[in-house]
Amino acid sequence: MTTVLAYLDPGSGSMILQIIAGGVAAVAVTAKLYWNRLLKFLHIKKDEPETPEADQARSTDAA
Amino acid sequence: MSTQHAPAGLEPGSFRDPESRVFYAGDDVFRALSPDGLSDFEALEATGLLDGERVVPTERADGSANVAGFLVHEPAAILRHERIPFVSYPYEWTFSMLKDAALLQLDLLLAALEHDMVLKDSTPYNVQFKGAHPTFVDVGSFERLREGEPWVGYRQFCMLYLYPLLLQSAKDVPFQPWLRGSIDGIRPSEIRPLMNFRDRFRKGVFTNVILHAKLEARYADKPQQVKDEVKRVFKKELFVANVRKMRKLVQRLDWNPPQGVWTAYGERNSYTDDDARRKDEFVREVAKSREWKLVWDIGANNGRYSRIAAEGAKTVIAVDADQGPVELLYRDLREEGNEQILPLTMNLADPSPGLGWRGLERKSMPDRGKPDLVLALALVHHVAISANVPVKEFIDWLASLGSALVIEFPTREDPMVKKLLAPKRDGLHPDYELDYFERTLKEAFEVERSERLESGTRVLYFARPKR
Repeated sequence: MTTVLAYLDPGSGSMILQIIAGGVAAVAVTAKLYWNRLLKFLHIKKDEPETPEADQARSTDAA
Repeated sequence: MSTQHAPAGLEPGSFRDPESRVFYAGDDVFRALSPDGLSDFEALEATGLLDGERVVPTERADGSANVAGFLVHEPAAILRHERIPFVSYPYEWTFSMLKDAALLQLDLLLAALEHDMVLKDSTPYNVQFKGAHPTFVDVGSFERLREGEPWVGYRQFCMLYLYPLLLQSAKDVPFQPWLRGSIDGIRPSEIRPLMNFRDRFRKGVFTNVILHAKLEARYADKPQQVKDEVKRVFKKELFVANVRKMRKLVQRLDWNPPQGVWTAYGERNSYTDDDARRKDEFVREVAKSREWKLVWDIGANNGRYSRIAAEGAKTVIAVDADQGPVELLYRDLREEGNEQILPLTMNLADPSPGLGWRGLERKSMPDRGKPDLVLALALVHHVAISANVPVKEFIDWLASLGSALVIEFPTREDPMVKKLLAPKRDGLHPDYELDYFERTLKEAFEVERSERLESGTRVLYFARPKR
């Protein structure tokens, strides 16, 4: 595995924040995905391809 | 064999990134790349991001200079960059200029991420303006994305882009003195106390300011644990989501000059129409008398004379201490797609100094390129009376630039001069007299032409330096 090397100090708190802020975004994307599925199930909304972004955001496991 | 330029001069402001370094040879701007820097550059070339108008035109120029010892590792390649006509700094930009630079930074980052590349930093010093057109100049900032890596430049983006913009947008406090006061920008812990209870509900403030400052304090002494944990959970999708969110946030930030500035922008006070016409003609004649390379219009206000000067000049810098009219001028120039007139805000009586490491990282204006023509219109009374600079000192400074000069002297009878003198004690500024001004001017310059405007209270001069 490569290490995180950067000439710039990313800041520990700043990195944690990105996970929290990004985590909120991931939850939002997942929620939207299920909402769309529900609408489709109820035949309120027509079929459209799922965004790959939403699929990836659901898996939170480490690489 | 390619030509060897010698001696090569290192750019004193380009040393923070060990993979690349800017240097000059003759009139050209080069960049030495380390082996890693070269691999990143080759990856960047393949993305096509270099082909648009957003990044400074760049080509390979291997062997065009002796770069031994420029980097810790032996340089592996040399790039040549198109030269930016005049270098400017964020503390000389108006609100919209910093905002446009921020959006350029974020758009390039998003575009890079599509190709699994990132920008390794987020500093506005990597953006330069060609007129009103922002250009990203640090090609060395692009690198390949490493797995599990967060947005390393996020904190720097906050400190040098988001917080300054927020300060002016939310608090109506100009950001320029803050950026000039600190080359690294505003820390989360410094902007945090400026946000009141109501500000917490402004978009982006809670996350990027309040929470950011809190987390920074809490995790300051656990860098290794945090790094390991981040690497375990961080995904590119998180990265992209965060950058997109930041772009939305920056796009919404807004600032407008006070109403009075808008009114004054369209018209200029205390001129009869005939005076304005004759002044236009005077400046136009000088502007077209030869091909000027670099004109400084100091005290440019709404840029009326910068535009006239641009008729006969390659590049015009429109400087004014008042950010308001410069902001409006920038918006107009941006709309027109103007790449010739660079609007900047700076107080001439307190100009940009040398800053950063050794005081050399950022340069004073004359050190960035001396003009061959200076316009100082409706300015000397502000410098002499408001800023208390002796008339002779001002003339001597102008002479030190070694450039031709168009200068306007409003006499003591001029309404604007009367207004500036009104609050002062009688008998102050004895050097502010037409005779004394002319004598002083003629000591340092060869006056070629002068003209008294119709109203009689303003005199224009065109002068060439004696030395």
